[in-house]
Amino acid sequence: MSTVSSNARGPVRGRSSLWESHTFRGALVGLIPLGLLAGAVVLTLVITVLARQLVAASGFFAQQQAALITLIAGLVVAIVVYAVALWSIVRRVAAWRHDGEQAQASAVLWALCATALVVIVPVLLALLLPQHPAP
Amino acid sequence: MSPRTSPPVASIPPIANKSTKAGRGFRRLVAALLTLSVVLTGSYAAISIYIATQLVYPPQVPLYATPASLGLQYKDVTFPSREDHLQLQGWFIPGVLPNDGLTAERTIIVVHGNQANRADKSVGLLKLSGAFARRGFAVLAFDVRGNGESPPAPRSFGYFEQRDVLGAVDFLRAGTLPYPELGRPRVIAGWGLSMGGSALILAAGHEPAISAIVADSTAADYLPILEREVPKGDHLPALFTPGVLLAARAIYGMDFSAVRPVDVVAQLAPRPLFFIQGGADTFVPPANMSVLAAASQSVPNAHVQTWLVPGATHSQAYNTQPQEYVNRVIAFYTAALGPDTGAT
Repeated sequence: MSTVSSNARGPVRGRSSLWESHTFRGALVGLIPLGLLAGAVVLTLVITVLARQLVAASGFFAQQQAALITLIAGLVVAIVVYAVALWSIVRRVAAWRHDGEQAQASAVLWALCATALVVIVPVLLALLLPQHPAP
Repeated sequence: MSPRTSPPVASIPPIANKSTKAGRGFRRLVAALLTLSVVLTGSYAAISIYIATQLVYPPQVPLYATPASLGLQYKDVTFPSREDHLQLQGWFIPGVLPNDGLTAERTIIVVHGNQANRADKSVGLLKLSGAFARRGFAVLAFDVRGNGESPPAPRSFGYFEQRDVLGAVDFLRAGTLPYPELGRPRVIAGWGLSMGGSALILAAGHEPAISAIVADSTAADYLPILEREVPKGDHLPALFTPGVLLAARAIYGMDFSAVRPVDVVAQLAPRPLFFIQGGADTFVPPANMSVLAAASQSVPNAHVQTWLVPGATHSQAYNTQPQEYVNRVIAFYTAALGPDTGAT
């Protein structure tokens, strides 16, 4: 009895862990665009600070221009990188669905859902957080 | 097939598994969410960046007159701000003694308000500087960065401008003064209006050579005022203010949350402080003076005076009661700095 049950649990555990690993992998893949976006934004901010300091001696207008160009270019690059990553992952989801890897595909979609929420968090925080009342 | 052999129900519901239609619907929902989030956040960032650039650099106001128009002697001076060495433009007006001699023994650094200059007609600044000079106090009046004839720079309500005040102190202590025969000032005091008061208080926190301060219409904390004024000025919902302040920090490196004179005033004791406030000021409401005075008096050796000028709107205390204003301020400086040795 115990042998049978032990034999029965073996494949169940194997499948379960396989399913979990697919789900985990899918979730990780789904979070790639968010990671890239966060990395690009951080990099943009760092380069903006550096650009501002590099041209500080040239005066305010040069400094403002350098910071603005860096910031806007960086944000555009961040959005492009994010969009390309999303497009590539959506294609991968379609391929997984075609191959019957539903768990992985679902996990990716849920991770993308979470990504959308994280991306909108700054606006939500600005909307919801109380500001300091002026005395 | 035993139920044990099928994959267990997991925390992530396999929606895409239920049916192709449901899966497609979910994919569309996710795509819509992603698009919406990027469009909203991207627009928020773009608008915030634009407003930040508008907020920090208003057009510079040219000077309308010089101390010569009041019959006073003066010389143009140029000195660098501390740390970032911006070349600031100003006037050095020697004090006039009762015997008509000139003096620089007690010098007042005059710091104008936001979007103004060292002559600021709307608040009577040139006349006030002239009144100080005629009562025996030399005046160093200068254009804060981004104002008047000083180089363009972002306005930061005191965050960067305190470096200009510190530059003025350095100039008085070690620079090439325009009246060498008068020697260097024995004591240095400050008078600041609104943003100028904020810059002065923040600077005095780093510079003990500023012996006494008059702060007129100065806010205890500028962040709440910005949070109130930015949406008003740009006709935008208040939700953009945090984005604007963040963008200003990214583009210009300024931290408005650090412009809190209320955190510094207690450190200035025992140096005498005089807070003046318009009773009808709606931009920096009178409660600010109470907050600053209370914070200043939180230490045992504080010397704090206050004066609430009834009916005066923002920065208009001098224009509302000019004679009383000069008398009170001169009495404060005389008590704080002592008499001019040349006059005795």
